[in-house]
Amino acid sequence: MMTHEEFESIAALDAIGAATADEGSALTAHLRECLPCRRARAEFAEAATLLARDLEPVVPPRDVRERISSAIAETDEEEARETRISPWWLATAATIFLALWGWREISVRVIREQTHSQEAEIKRLSEENALLNEQNEKLSVLAKPDTRTIALTGQEVAPAASAKVFLEPERRRAFVFFYNLPSNPGDKSYQLWIIRGDQPKPMSAGVFDVTEAGSASITIENLPVATEIKGLAVTLEPRGGVEQPTNTQFIVAGNV
Amino acid sequence: MNPSVQTATLLPAVAQGDVSAFEGLYDRYSSTVYALLLRILANADDAQEVLQETFVKAWTSAKMFDAVRGSEAAWLISIARSRGIDRLRSRRLRSDRENDAGREISIHSSFVDKTTGADKAIQSEEQRAVRGALTDLPDAQRVALELAYFEGLSQSEIAQRLNEPLGTIKTRMQLGMKKLRDRLREYR
Repeated sequence: MMTHEEFESIAALDAIGAATADEGSALTAHLRECLPCRRARAEFAEAATLLARDLEPVVPPRDVRERISSAIAETDEEEARETRISPWWLATAATIFLALWGWREISVRVIREQTHSQEAEIKRLSEENALLNEQNEKLSVLAKPDTRTIALTGQEVAPAASAKVFLEPERRRAFVFFYNLPSNPGDKSYQLWIIRGDQPKPMSAGVFDVTEAGSASITIENLPVATEIKGLAVTLEPRGGVEQPTNTQFIVAGNV
Repeated sequence: MNPSVQTATLLPAVAQGDVSAFEGLYDRYSSTVYALLLRILANADDAQEVLQETFVKAWTSAKMFDAVRGSEAAWLISIARSRGIDRLRSRRLRSDRENDAGREISIHSSFVDKTTGADKAIQSEEQRAVRGALTDLPDAQRVALELAYFEGLSQSEIAQRLNEPLGTIKTRMQLGMKKLRDRLREYR
């Protein structure tokens, strides 16, 4: 179950057309029921326009204005033609419409009920299917001979915590499973960092929250090549993550 | 200054078929929308066609505008951006031209500067107020936002283009958008 803060982060991406299809669908469903998130989405949409309004304005050539005037005049004419309907046709149409209306209302009600239950079933099945596919993919990676397993151990602030990293060098991808992490406060997120041998600053590999049981899993795509990764570490950061770690209190860490 | 309320909203009058309100709308926003479309499409003919489509759409759909959901400028810019990106994607599909695939953000700026010539618009107060909003953003965040907004790239495409992990790109875009939102709040 996603929090409002997570939906707000998706809304930020959605406003610039960068939310994934899944994120977009989840956000749309949530916005139907959540006024504060609808406001946040509108605010991000307004903020996105700053990207356009920051550009140096360019006056379009004069003839574009004339072309637009002609185009809207044509549109108006078409609309007027469509609305010029004779009275006898209107009377006939009204009679047919009223006759069909009653039948339609009953049919629609029945179909709507059927559709709702089918949609709910399809949604449930597709969610289960997506979960199964994800789990299958993870399992297949674990079974590959070239998959490397790296253990991250709990540090001073959370000695019982641990994590396992399954690194797939060929696809530059990794699945990371966390266990026994303390619950993160509402205004904080855990953030995974890649410590690289070829760069002085750590690189963010994603943010995550843990379940009540203290577990979580994330997938890292587009990893640096394995020889450039020196280690991995997790810190607790402001919600949504930061560009660089704000503290050195590692929760779990390990060398590659 | 509040750019979203300083000028009277013209769209309700446009929805009633008021041609002079529509001309006012064009005078007020065409330079911004045209600059946006040049930035997205990097081609003056395409940009002018989509500019025309955008304003015809504004004329026919003005009644759909809801001031509660956003400003007039945001509504119009959103139509233009969406149609510009659609045109860009269909052009990419038609011919995977080398200059499309390999173009860099810096090229756009020089293109726009070169084509404006003596016709540069006189900036309105509103434009002056919001100009420079991006200068506060770290380069890495700005570049990620621009690739999404002006080139219509997905998170994964941006990660590949910049050779960075997906999580890093996502974080950058979210932080960048939050900063832009904060900047917008300063005007209010």
